[in-house]
Amino acid sequence: MTATTEEQSRSTIRERLSGVVSQLAAAGALIVVFVFLSVASPVFLSADNLFNIGVQTSYTAVIAIGMTLVIITAGIDLSVGSVAALSGVVGVVLMTKAGIPVVPAILGGVFVGGICGLVNGLLVSVAGLNPFIATLGMLSVARGLVYIPTNARAVFGAPDSFRLLGQGVIGSIPIPIIVVAVVATIGYVVLSRTKLGRYAYAMGSNREAARLSGIPIKRYLTAVYVISGALAGFGGMIASSQVDSGQPNFGMGLELDAIAAAVIGGASLFGGQGTVVGTLIGAFLIALIRNGSVLLDVNIYYQQVIIGVVIWVAVLWDQYRRRRLTAAD
Amino acid sequence: MSSVRRRVSRKEFLRLGGSGLAGAALLGTVGCKAKVRESGGGGSTKKEGLIRLAVVPKAVGFAFWEQVRIGAQCAASKHKAVEVQWDGVTSETDVNGQVNLLQNFITQGVDGLVYAATDAKVLHQVSDQALEQGLVVVNIDSGTNPQPKQVPVVATNNVAAAARITRRMAEKLGKGGGEIAFIPFQPGTETNDTRTEGFKDVLKKNPQLDLVATQSSESDYNTALRVTNDILTAHPKLSAIYAANEPGVLGAAEAVRRTGDAGKILIYGWDTAPDEIKAVKEDVVVSLVAQNPFRMGYDGVNEAVKRLRGGDSVKLKSIDTGATLITKDNVGDPDVQSLLHPSCDNPPI
Repeated sequence: MTATTEEQSRSTIRERLSGVVSQLAAAGALIVVFVFLSVASPVFLSADNLFNIGVQTSYTAVIAIGMTLVIITAGIDLSVGSVAALSGVVGVVLMTKAGIPVVPAILGGVFVGGICGLVNGLLVSVAGLNPFIATLGMLSVARGLVYIPTNARAVFGAPDSFRLLGQGVIGSIPIPIIVVAVVATIGYVVLSRTKLGRYAYAMGSNREAARLSGIPIKRYLTAVYVISGALAGFGGMIASSQVDSGQPNFGMGLELDAIAAAVIGGASLFGGQGTVVGTLIGAFLIALIRNGSVLLDVNIYYQQVIIGVVIWVAVLWDQYRRRRLTAAD
Repeated sequence: MSSVRRRVSRKEFLRLGGSGLAGAALLGTVGCKAKVRESGGGGSTKKEGLIRLAVVPKAVGFAFWEQVRIGAQCAASKHKAVEVQWDGVTSETDVNGQVNLLQNFITQGVDGLVYAATDAKVLHQVSDQALEQGLVVVNIDSGTNPQPKQVPVVATNNVAAAARITRRMAEKLGKGGGEIAFIPFQPGTETNDTRTEGFKDVLKKNPQLDLVATQSSESDYNTALRVTNDILTAHPKLSAIYAANEPGVLGAAEAVRRTGDAGKILIYGWDTAPDEIKAVKEDVVVSLVAQNPFRMGYDGVNEAVKRLRGGDSVKLKSIDTGATLITKDNVGDPDVQSLLHPSCDNPPI
């Protein structure tokens, strides 16, 4: 018995270490890119530019944090882009046609995202659908639902105060950055200190073992998807605030950015790995590549290639890491 | 294996969360002034040295915008010390993406923005931001709503041109009229709405034309093909199709080819991508509205340079870059050819 526990503790430490190493690698890459851009472009470090980066990354970061939680459970949420658009539009409609004040309307948008997440969660945990399939369906359904009432036209007329969420500053700190910081802190606490976080890692590492040790899988798995949906909704509200309108076409392909951010930051699609800090690093790395490409006049198509290569490198590293783990045992 | 980390109980978590939210609310109410950020800047726009202009289409990857680029770069080449930086998002519906791109250009310190707005109402805030920073802004193809006074629009008069081609369609269909389908591309964008307006104005005066189907192509060829197929299935007696831009025309042309209705169902539309011209020569498409995208890029850059070199006293005016109806009969004419294959050596101006 003792031997197994020792082995377990050794491999857990090794896992945690390699998780940290992976984060360090991503952080290292981030620092290298940051330094490179500071040197290569005279405007990179300007207040305006750093503000832009922060603001433009904010909704992706928030959504990616939700995605991290899902990926930790060895699941995936392909619907976040559509859900973000749906929530963004619903939130703006609440503010305009329904005359609801701004903050409750934002919460309404988040709530809609949560409902979509609930549907995803129930499909995965109760109906037993593969997460890929379940959320793929939601991707379509949510997008269709946002097109029907709006006819794919943007919704305008939100009160001026709504712009604060995505474009405001307190002092010199952009509000969306504060929002990301708050969400990230809550996410960190949830993942590292709550039952939900612990169970998420357990479900992702070994679903059967988790079930056999008495973890109520259905409840917690559903909760994970609800959170992902709600955060997607929140991200959608931030993005809507940045263009002062509900955009039904928003977020196409956003799920891929969120997945990329999580994976670059050390999350493993096999489950059981992933951290909020890592995801933030991944999100900002992608944002820096995009921002730097414009500053350095690099064609948008090259950006796509670079980001894709970065994802490959991150995932190959992840696989290499796992192989070494199992080999060492 | 001992886990030293304390697990947070639900009560503790709620307390934490509650105090966090309360703290945030306090921060907000104690009036740590939250406001929308205004970027600093301003100053006179007169410039002597190198001028850098960001020229941004609605999206990259369409023949139309390629011609805008050629015109813009041609104009730049004729000036001393004018550089054009061309970039765009990959989808005409990516409004957030275009906003981010333009803001990055503003930060980068370009002297002027020459751009086509993907969403008229959203992009006016970017124009305002750029103007505040002392940049010169010119809209090409699509303006903003509201249109700032200092920002001219270098574009086609879409309403008039749409009316002209719809009248052609009405003449061709004759007194009996017929069922027609409409393929717009992006409601909310100025060019879409104005081409719709001109079309519908003429429909009102011609009740013999029966609009039976309206399906958006979303500026995507594959979507256009799919919706046209479905329209053809649903309306076997369809007489004509009016498609408001390049992907719509291409999709409709391909759809009628596949059902064998090429030439029987009349197609009218906008833009002059090579495959569209081919379709005109093959009698699949009856007539196309040819804009002058080369001129939009060319005049757009020139207007911006005029203002940058001349200073604030130079007033910029909007320019109608014109529209030509292309048919099988005139497609070979030299001025039409120059319009279709513009180059700096053979500019269609």
